[in-house]
Amino acid sequence: MSTAISYQQACLNRASHATSPLRADDLSRAALLAQYHPDHAADASTLLQIGSSRGQPCHPRLAELLQSNALIDGFDLAGAEQRSTDVLVLGGGGAGAAAALTAARGGATVMLASKLRLGDSNTVMAEGGIQAALAASDSPQQHFDDAMRGGHNCADPQLLAQLASDAAGVIRWLIELGMHFDLSDASSDGGKLRYKQAGGCSQPRILSYRDYTGLEMMRVLRETVELEPGIQLLNRCPVVELLSHEDGSCAGAVLYDLEYQRFIVVSARQTILATGGCGRLHLQGFPTSNHYGATADGLVLAYRLGAQLRDMDAFQYHPTGVAWPQRLRGGLISEAARSAGAMLLNGLGERFVDELAPRDVVTAAMLRECAAGRGIERDGQLGVLLDLRRLCGPDQPALASQLPALQHLADKCGIDPTREPMLVYPTLHYQNGGVVIDSQGQSSVPGLLCAGEITGGIHGRNRLMGNALLDILAFGRRAGRQAARLAQAARNKSSLPPLRGGIEHVYRWQRQLALAGLDASQQAPLLYPGQARLTLHRPASARA
Amino acid sequence: MSETICISIDGKVMAAQPGDSILQTRLHGPDAVTANIGCMGQGVCGSCRCLVRKAGERETVSRLACETVVEDGMQVSFIDYYQPDHVHRYRPHDLRDGWQALPQLQQTFPETAHCRHCGGCDRACPRGIPVQQGIALASRGELPAAAALFDACIMCNLCTLACPENIRPNHVGLYLRRAQAIQNLRPGDLLRRLDQQARGQLSIDTTAHLARSES
Repeated sequence: MSTAISYQQACLNRASHATSPLRADDLSRAALLAQYHPDHAADASTLLQIGSSRGQPCHPRLAELLQSNALIDGFDLAGAEQRSTDVLVLGGGGAGAAAALTAARGGATVMLASKLRLGDSNTVMAEGGIQAALAASDSPQQHFDDAMRGGHNCADPQLLAQLASDAAGVIRWLIELGMHFDLSDASSDGGKLRYKQAGGCSQPRILSYRDYTGLEMMRVLRETVELEPGIQLLNRCPVVELLSHEDGSCAGAVLYDLEYQRFIVVSARQTILATGGCGRLHLQGFPTSNHYGATADGLVLAYRLGAQLRDMDAFQYHPTGVAWPQRLRGGLISEAARSAGAMLLNGLGERFVDELAPRDVVTAAMLRECAAGRGIERDGQLGVLLDLRRLCGPDQPALASQLPALQHLADKCGIDPTREPMLVYPTLHYQNGGVVIDSQGQSSVPGLLCAGEITGGIHGRNRLMGNALLDILAFGRRAGRQAARLAQAARNKSSLPPLRGGIEHVYRWQRQLALAGLDASQQAPLLYPGQARLTLHRPASARA
Repeated sequence: MSETICISIDGKVMAAQPGDSILQTRLHGPDAVTANIGCMGQGVCGSCRCLVRKAGERETVSRLACETVVEDGMQVSFIDYYQPDHVHRYRPHDLRDGWQALPQLQQTFPETAHCRHCGGCDRACPRGIPVQQGIALASRGELPAAAALFDACIMCNLCTLACPENIRPNHVGLYLRRAQAIQNLRPGDLLRRLDQQARGQLSIDTTAHLARSES
């Protein structure tokens, strides 16, 4: 570790400034990102050697998983329980729930399989809010422009335009399901929603519910899914492989039922992957704010089946992860804190970046401070200070009522935010790239749709605050609607259950691995991130 | 810190680092953790619910493993999730008519009136919500006040598990909160924007940014 300033000294330096000055910057944003953002590190990118995105850049750790062997073989399917459905949704976060609900409302029979439990996802942890351009001074066009700029002009314009246009309808849908949003003025005009400022946005556009928007959203979505008669819910059933027809289209998936320790083969007319991102891979050695299940499972399976990917070397490191105490390292302090006025200070007590610049810029600026020896060290943990004094002034409502989740976190850290700053360090937060989709969530593989963090293109190479919660619902609903429509069309052709698929694509993949000289003993998806790997129980091999 | 302590998780004794949470200790164990785990410390998913008994104490308390720091001699038992036998289904559009709120609540959660005031739900709640009071208010028809009490609920279902009358208090709370939003939340700015878009206004020019980045 490079040199750093002690926490005690940094607190003294902070106290010496009545109002901390913002240091004039000598580095352009482009240069700052190129020198300090983790995506630009020398060891952060390699080229994919096989598959439909061969030759494209990808993070090396992710490339290892993408170019690996399957967990199962043909004989695993022999004794497996067979089921069928119109639409199979894989993943129990916000995108999966939205897709399942919309498909069910569209008249399809739906099966939703979740690795952990419905709702155990990044959605429930995404507390900052959701973007929707509702102000009279705002418009979907401005929303589009901000996100396009924030993503370095790399977003797919069509997808991004849909994201911005869908926003108002998404908020209405959420309210119809029973989700609350904060009002700024409850007395007039049926109330006007409260807008918060997000980093990189031209005006306040974040709608939220306190500082636990994702919790409020997910508890409503979970309850709705659980009570929806058209959805069959399979908790603790991770997907271990997709199924294919002879023409290469998706035929459903193979699940592993943890409770009964056996495989389930689900034949589906349409399959929707909503398995999220890959924060638990701890890319570039960073801590992560992500949920336990974020291990890139769906990405690996989609790629093996032939889906195209994009921007697999672009990740978001959220600026304000907890750095101390070590026990809570990587946990997220919502951008809502900076939106409400929290400042970032280096060890000299200086502000070194506009706290509401886009996330990649703020993160790069923080890493620069740490690299230059102006970071702060506390009990062996390195970071910069998050100063909450502006939120705790005498004219402010108590932090516990303003931002209850932040107060709760400060309590867990043993920090009194009115007196002490928190120590923060960037934390791996979001996968900007993913599976290439069209406007209805359709991947390049027929029969396979994707929604949520697993997809790429919507946010370009950097996402703005509040656009993930919007993305999962806007595109979750689109994918669900499209899947129901296509399943209906297939049912109109034949009323028989969907045809059974196989894993011919796995054998093709194994040949490619061998031809490219890649290690076929590496298996993926990971399913669970700990050191201990899950052993899949195999009655067939046990009998042999 | 080289000092290690021991705790027992689901009957297995494990070495733990002081300062770690119960959940972190469990992750260092020999088995892949596939359940009762979620947000890993944020305390919002309710997955890692467990019963905890400290060394030398008789009382067992319910806690979230991700938020509870280990102590030497602690005994921990994780609580699995089960789908309850009887769930009264309702759909969001059933809640639209606020005039029917009370009879609908009684129909959907008939057990709400059976509260024995045993306080088990209050003791079980890791968020400190006065659950029993919420149920009492609900059964008296003071629905907004009841709903407000469940504002910070993380749906860990510990109160549901604790209730001898199968009231499912957290689901009652969520039902009331949802009904409130469904019936009352009609923000003027949202209505205006939806109306504009329904008229075909405010479409997006997807090429405007190209012109700007060139200039």
